Amino acid sequence: MVNESHKLSDAEIIRRVIEGDVNAFEDLLKRYEQHVLNILKKHIPHIQIEETAQEVFFRAYQGLPTVKQTGRFKQWISAVAIRACYDFWRRQYRSREIPMSDLTERHRRWLEDVISDQSDRSFHESRLQKEAFELLDWALGKLSAEDRMAFELVYLEGLSGREAADLLGWSVVNVKVRSHRCRKKIKKLISEFMAA
Amino acid sequence: MKFFKEEHEVLKKILCRAYYEKERVKVSDHWQHGVMRRIRNLEPVESDASFFIRFQQLVWRLTPVVCLLILILATVLFRVEIVPKYGVFQLLLNGEEELSISQFVGL
Repeated sequence: MVNESHKLSDAEIIRRVIEGDVNAFEDLLKRYEQHVLNILKKHIPHIQIEETAQEVFFRAYQGLPTVKQTGRFKQWISAVAIRACYDFWRRQYRSREIPMSDLTERHRRWLEDVISDQSDRSFHESRLQKEAFELLDWALGKLSAEDRMAFELVYLEGLSGREAADLLGWSVVNVKVRSHRCRKKIKKLISEFMAA
Repeated sequence: MKFFKEEHEVLKKILCRAYYEKERVKVSDHWQHGVMRRIRNLEPVESDASFFIRFQQLVWRLTPVVCLLILILATVLFRVEIVPKYGVFQLLLNGEEELSISQFVGL
């Protein structure tokens, strides 16, 4: 039975779930859990990952009848995950529950060291330090929920405007304008921090 | 301190690497059970096809009511004297201003 479920295509599993075989959804969950977790890990705080992962698969289950191209389920569930992240940040910004950490002298010294040592070799060989994560969180914390998602997908993840727009369900122009604006804003913020 | 293009590139590399390194975080695998428990407590999902099936069932359930309404309307129409269109037109042309609705319908 287990082997049989592994052979089934996504479309076949979706058909079974819609026909009332709720347990078949577990196969989809196992097939895409790592993919969804990788998306969530990059976009939301660690402590929120499990709860949001549950939300993503719950939404996916409820939305199964609306999946038009069952062969592209991976793209579809990626969009569900990205939109769950966006909703998470919108809720956070609305309730103002985001802890705004600030950068310190320690971060400035670290950033100066990294920038002055511009050799690619040393950059790749060195282990990423805690300061890098704090710098990223600090910079992203300065953006709105919308800007944050556009910036992460286009600038950090390297997706095209079209790909990011498809995931977010926005227009391509909206995504491009936001990501461009955010890139400039973050550069300015870090320049100001270094100059202060 | 003003950033130059090369420095921006380094900055981008740092941010991108920190972003991708987040994937390494470990997550426990208890949450899957929570999803399946929540889903099993729900009613089965409804597809567009099942919507049409339910719609058909509803239509058949309403059939006796519709038949009854057709019978009543047919009886009323039989008992009502229908005024031919040209008669109504003639009345309007002659300026019969006191033509009431009941006369117009023929009751």
